[in-house]
Amino acid sequence: MLDLLAQTGLNAVYAASYISLVAVGLVLIFGVMGVINFAHGELFMAGAYVVVAVYADMHMPFFIAVVVGLLFVGCLGLLMERALFRPLRDNPLGGLVASIGFLMILQALATMGFGVRMEFIPPVTQHVVQLGENISIPLARVYVIVAAIVLLSALWYFLKRTRFGWALRASAQDPQAAELQGISIAQTAKIAMFIGAGLAGIAGALTAPLISVNPHMGHSVIVTAFIVIIVGGVGSLEGAIIASIAYAFVHTFVTTFYGGVIADITGLSLMLIVLIVKPTGLFGSADRA
Amino acid sequence: MTQFLKVEDLTMRFGGLVAVDALNFSVDHGTIHGLIGPNGAGKTTTFNMISGFYKPTSGKVLLHEEDISGLKMHEVARRGVVRTFQHSTLFAELTVMENVLIGTHMPFRPNIFAAIVGWDREDREGAEGRAREALKFFGLSDLATERAGDLSHGHQRALGMAICFASHPDLMLLDEPFTGMNPEETRQMMDLMRRLREAGTTILLVEHDMQAIMGLCDRITCMSFGKFLAEGGPKEIRNHPAVIEAYLGGARHVA
Amino acid sequence: MRKALIWIAFGAALIALPHGLSFSQQEILVFLTINILVVSSYRLLTLTGEWSLAHVVIMGVGAYASAMMTKNLGVYVPVAMLMGGIIAALIAVVLSFPLFRMKGFYFLIGSFAAGEIIRLLWKHFRDPFGGAKGIKGIDPMPDFSIGIYDFDFFEPVSYFYFAGFIVIVCLWILWRIERSPVGLTFHAVHWQDKLAEASGVNLRAYRTLAFAVASGFAGIGGALLAHYIGTINPGSFDLDYMVFVLTWAIVGGTGTFYGPILGCVVLTILNEVVLRELGFEQLRPLIYGAILIASILFLPNGLESIVQKFTKRSAKS
Repeated sequence: MLDLLAQTGLNAVYAASYISLVAVGLVLIFGVMGVINFAHGELFMAGAYVVVAVYADMHMPFFIAVVVGLLFVGCLGLLMERALFRPLRDNPLGGLVASIGFLMILQALATMGFGVRMEFIPPVTQHVVQLGENISIPLARVYVIVAAIVLLSALWYFLKRTRFGWALRASAQDPQAAELQGISIAQTAKIAMFIGAGLAGIAGALTAPLISVNPHMGHSVIVTAFIVIIVGGVGSLEGAIIASIAYAFVHTFVTTFYGGVIADITGLSLMLIVLIVKPTGLFGSADRA
Repeated sequence: MTQFLKVEDLTMRFGGLVAVDALNFSVDHGTIHGLIGPNGAGKTTTFNMISGFYKPTSGKVLLHEEDISGLKMHEVARRGVVRTFQHSTLFAELTVMENVLIGTHMPFRPNIFAAIVGWDREDREGAEGRAREALKFFGLSDLATERAGDLSHGHQRALGMAICFASHPDLMLLDEPFTGMNPEETRQMMDLMRRLREAGTTILLVEHDMQAIMGLCDRITCMSFGKFLAEGGPKEIRNHPAVIEAYLGGARHVA
Repeated sequence: MRKALIWIAFGAALIALPHGLSFSQQEILVFLTINILVVSSYRLLTLTGEWSLAHVVIMGVGAYASAMMTKNLGVYVPVAMLMGGIIAALIAVVLSFPLFRMKGFYFLIGSFAAGEIIRLLWKHFRDPFGGAKGIKGIDPMPDFSIGIYDFDFFEPVSYFYFAGFIVIVCLWILWRIERSPVGLTFHAVHWQDKLAEASGVNLRAYRTLAFAVASGFAGIGGALLAHYIGTINPGSFDLDYMVFVLTWAIVGGTGTFYGPILGCVVLTILNEVVLRELGFEQLRPLIYGAILIASILFLPNGLESIVQKFTKRSAKS
């Protein structure tokens, strides 16, 4: 029993690490752009397909594929900023619809390029780390966990210690005041979109060999990310990370013991309860959103 | 006879800041009562507590001896206490007529089933009549089909009061009704308020325009730093040493 | 007089319309008719300023309720449809307690979560909801005759007339509500909730009213769908469908009563008829997505703004 708990906990840590990468990106985009990026799950999907193309089809090293995934999806983010969100700055609902349109285009392109069927990706490593008699974790999952910790720490350093990060946080808090301070909103928007999209892309790229890659995989990812950023409080990066961990643990444990549908219901119900008790999320403030 | 409106030990704290501190005063029926004080004295906060916009930290607001503090704004309104807002808080996207029609919500309560079947003709006509009355009273009849957001500033203030008037209030709470009005408009508005008083409506107003306050009010309550300072008729208040000190002190502070 | 003639001509055109279409186009026409009701009821909710993502699931509540009532209790189909609407409205009232504590983005996602929970409950409980496979073999609308026309509900044309009649009645009611003092109060709640409240409007009650009425009509729409296709499952009312409703409303524009209807008709015809006829089967979602983006970039106030420009010009001349 104890082994099972420990094993499930380990699985939860893995889930938490890629969920938090996606959710932090989504929060960053919402904070700076003020727009709900419905296409965020498809950015994750795009990252996974980069791995399919570069690693599985072109037989390049996995590490290169992941870096390409980060850069490619980051550039998709820049494209979205320039083509959609910048012209629709004063129209949040418009930004929502535009991101839905973009989602459909990405899905269609993936279907056309790779087909609707699940992709086979050769495992990066078959190695399994044995931590106890019945406790083990595939090395590939360890990569994801390590990558998430490194990336989120780097992001934290970037946001708290650099001038860019300061500008980013300032414009997320109050865009007008930030502009008066001489911060270029266009500049910070670009950076936020690149980082936000890139995080989703790298999460998709890292997990691609471990999950089923298909054109509609973004759906469950965006649902999870929405739950997490709501529970954490929209606009709070720390909240998003904490909520990711909490959600991953609850969901993984309930899935292990009661099944997936009950786990989904539990996750959604917990989120509703959080919203009923605190209608702006655990770490959110009332004035944004 | 019971006291019309009585404020007892009313207190509002925002975090550590005490905005209104154990305030006591009462308003007589059928009077125009002014609430004055230097900037930051807590007048608007007091207003917000009486109208149900804020829930007071402690203390009571008694209307005919019924405690209405902590009720929601629409519940306070349904007891006859209707407020206006500072600035031009209007339904800017709707026409002037529609704005005032929303003011008739309480006397002519809409009913969705009657509206679908068409059994609410009398109510609709009644509401429209009342709305026209309100527009006429405030001299807005010619502007009925204009978009409220397109009106001049003075007209917007008048429209805010017309919405309030349309609901047949016992007590009108007017938050700085004269700001943004030119002297001529102010004079007309003062006349209208006197006519309202003659019709039996009680008025409590917060205002910075001292000339208007002194010329209009029957009684004046003066606050300073959240506390009660003085009360009396316009003459008493004008010559009250504490009031002069508060205003001059404020002026010195500003300078 | 001239107005009456236009309406008569419009009615005649609607009656004649299905006879010029292929069988599959007639089927699309039935779905379009039902979707017009769904998107119009959605607009009633948006009048109070809230955007929900639970609307399609609540439509599904009406569908499930009506299907189960006919199947398990033997209720006459039109009565079951009405009951489906009422049950959807009641569920909406229940949901309003947690949801109306939230606003804006939180309400959007909160409503999505509430809808997903309902959908997952359908999926999880095989008894009575049929699990992931849903309910099959739902009783069709029984055939009947009105003297000049025999309704045979295996024909889409007959169902189009039946559904069309119900939808027009529902639209008429929605129109009456919007043009009434109640509708004006919905607008007031949207534009300046504080001023409305100061005028004695119970904000919570009016938000709930709009939510319940909109949900009731969505439920009737769901029931119409269920008894037409004969089988429903949790996947029939998923987020993809909701996204379509949302985009119809926004692309059409929610400023007017006809805006969402226009969006629904234009986008459906483009997606289901034009793109299919042109042979773009594979590219359909791609082009649809591009159309969404283009319309929001170049027509930010919706398709209705074109109509408004046109009618204003003709009024001036």
